[in-house]
Amino acid sequence: MASIPNLNTLRRGGQRRRGGRGGRAVPENDDTSNLENSENEKNDRIIQQTDYDASSSRVSAVALGYLDDPYAQLFLQPGEQIAKRYPMHNRGSYVRTTAIDRFVTSFIRHPSMEGGDAKRQIISLGAGSDTRFWRLCRGDHGRRTDVVYHELDFEKNVEQKRQAIERAPELESQLEPTAEMPSTYFLHALDLRTLARSPTEHKITGLNPSLPTLLLSECCLCYVPPDTATSIIKYFTNIINGPVAVILYEPIRPYDPFGRTMVANLGSRGIQLQTLRRFHSLEAQRKRLQMAGFDDKQGARDIHQIWTDNDWISEAERERVEKLEWLDEVEEWELIGSHYCVTWGWKGDVFSGAWEGIEGGRTGSEARDDEFG
Amino acid sequence: MSDLDRAIEQLRACRPIPENQVRELCYKARELLIEEGNVVAVDAPVTICGDIHGQFHDLMELFRVGGDVPDTNYLFMGDFVDRGFYSLESFLLLLCLKVRYPDRITLIRGNHESRQITTVYGFYDECQRKYGSANVWRYCCEVFDFLALGALITGASTDMQPSDANIADINSQSQWPSEPSDIEIEILNQHNQITHRYPRHRPAPISQDLSQLSNTPSSPSQAPDQAPVRNGAPGTGASGHSRGSNNNKDGAVFCVHGGLSPLIDTIDKIRLLDRKQEVPHEGAMCDLLWSDPDEIDGWGLSPRGAGFLFGADIVKCFNYKNDLSLVCRAHQLVMEGFKEMFDSTIVTVWSAPNYCYRCGNVAAILELGEDGSNAGYMPRSNGDPNRSQGIVAPLGEREQALMKMGPGRRYRVFEAAPQDPRGMPAKKPVADYFL
Repeated sequence: MASIPNLNTLRRGGQRRRGGRGGRAVPENDDTSNLENSENEKNDRIIQQTDYDASSSRVSAVALGYLDDPYAQLFLQPGEQIAKRYPMHNRGSYVRTTAIDRFVTSFIRHPSMEGGDAKRQIISLGAGSDTRFWRLCRGDHGRRTDVVYHELDFEKNVEQKRQAIERAPELESQLEPTAEMPSTYFLHALDLRTLARSPTEHKITGLNPSLPTLLLSECCLCYVPPDTATSIIKYFTNIINGPVAVILYEPIRPYDPFGRTMVANLGSRGIQLQTLRRFHSLEAQRKRLQMAGFDDKQGARDIHQIWTDNDWISEAERERVEKLEWLDEVEEWELIGSHYCVTWGWKGDVFSGAWEGIEGGRTGSEARDDEFG
Repeated sequence: MSDLDRAIEQLRACRPIPENQVRELCYKARELLIEEGNVVAVDAPVTICGDIHGQFHDLMELFRVGGDVPDTNYLFMGDFVDRGFYSLESFLLLLCLKVRYPDRITLIRGNHESRQITTVYGFYDECQRKYGSANVWRYCCEVFDFLALGALITGASTDMQPSDANIADINSQSQWPSEPSDIEIEILNQHNQITHRYPRHRPAPISQDLSQLSNTPSSPSQAPDQAPVRNGAPGTGASGHSRGSNNNKDGAVFCVHGGLSPLIDTIDKIRLLDRKQEVPHEGAMCDLLWSDPDEIDGWGLSPRGAGFLFGADIVKCFNYKNDLSLVCRAHQLVMEGFKEMFDSTIVTVWSAPNYCYRCGNVAAILELGEDGSNAGYMPRSNGDPNRSQGIVAPLGEREQALMKMGPGRRYRVFEAAPQDPRGMPAKKPVADYFL
């Protein structure tokens, strides 16, 4: 595979590149402040390594039949064993993936406006070793799929992903767009914080500002300061002039005993959940997206709510998953599940049509969050 | 010093004992346990403990808070192993204490004392890691098969024994009942300070005129009879609205890890089970170790995939039929350490603080005092509904309330032990959360 100079961007389907968005060379780390000391680098390394947790948890869930994802294990490091995760974690990986799948599927399947472009765009922030693009090519989100798919992450994570793709023909072969599967894939090595610091200096190759665009952040924006997270989202909402939506998956509720312990435990390992205090509840998350301009509608549900709601996971499917493993961590599952949430918001008719029916408004059980302002 | 005392010494320091000693210990323990019935008879006073889950340093904290063996008489309701990092040391220490002081410590079986569950939740891996083979795990599993399924505590006092503890918050004291006999529930923190006291809701003496009582609701002289208007402590059924316990006076306390079974309506039926086996996937023995109380009517399916959910009606019926004042169980994490349900007819006791080093919960143990006074003593007979009915039926509501009294309950609530540097492995995987 040819290495991509400077931009450190792996992209295939170059012939589909749009004019005017060509690869202006950007230094791989154009942070000129030079203020990054070794402490910050160490913190970054710890955050980069969280992808290992997400990825090995996904492999564990796949191995036990929670998820059908043959691509997950292709991203393991050479010689890496399939990790054994507790049933609770496998179920967590399952719910998180299933919930986001629901949005992506209806976004892609929803008939576009009359005469409109059937194309869609997805931008996955801090994508790590996520496999969604390959599942999408396989048809997991419907057959009529023409998506411009961007993944952004630290250079180190991107490099690992690039190597994994090189090792696995199953992954590499999908990157060539075909008539049946015209989707294109872009992998960008980029420290997202630079988008917040100097938004005008960055052009993301292949990004099409007029397509209906879905931003995904699965445990990514929670690691940067809240204002930076807001600026990163703003970077994209400023550029994209078509319909735009965002889905966040991140921890919440830092103030109750479980939440306090979570913050302390992760902190002792160098992981700072920097947005957690400001966006501490489902309601705070909804408001956050409203303020960010996703003003058609915002919704939020915690993982435990999603697991128990038939609209999200049918009774039959829940029964299937329950039978995969004995789960003796019932109370703990409820605790950890109520400390992670999916939040979504959008502006634009495409998303209204696709997501209007997904309930995400305030529920009575949120009253307990109100005492923590 | 005997070999056993030396082993106890070593385990108290959180150091595993050699494999050959484990084998010998397990052999002795089996000889002892095989003599116990499925339902062990235990006399009050006794301190009841819930799940431990290999949190060795917290078990040491439990002994510090509750007193040492053999000074304190203990009943552990199972789930000694799995999840924590020191299942081996925790279980072997409890087993050593059992062999050394068989009459001062009772161990009953939890759903984690099983071959299948320990291979998923950590005990098997821990034994492999610490001994390089599965032999010790196998010896321990053979002991698991002999553990009793439940315990029946008799002779517990309905009165609270006077406590010499200090009051944590002096301001709240004025609302508390002064007479020990008026206290139903007392809650202490790990510094042996009283944090809450709840009076028993005793009806006025029968000779007193009812209308008189209701005319002077705020009279200071009536204060001891009135439940203070305040919310109950988290985990208690003793809120301002609670009518106190609604139990048969001097009834026994039934202890079991999980809960009840639709196949078991009398304690005698438990005695008939063949327990000396791996925990089955279904049936009465499985249910006793896996079931949970829930706010439902009757029986429901359990989200755990084994056992059942059961409602207040089931518990009240079971207690009545078996002349019990209380069912005491563990099995469910409760953030406050204990939780009374269904008019205090059942309580969950949870003894693993900051469960899995992650949940942020406190733990509790439950002390039941001895009925020394013999006042109000009434011979009890298990499983004899006609007798109970004969006494209760002719009485009015107030008299009935007087007849039904649960034991005085002293909960000692404690937090996780100060983290020993060795309390957590240096490199604990961060995947404990969804990252």
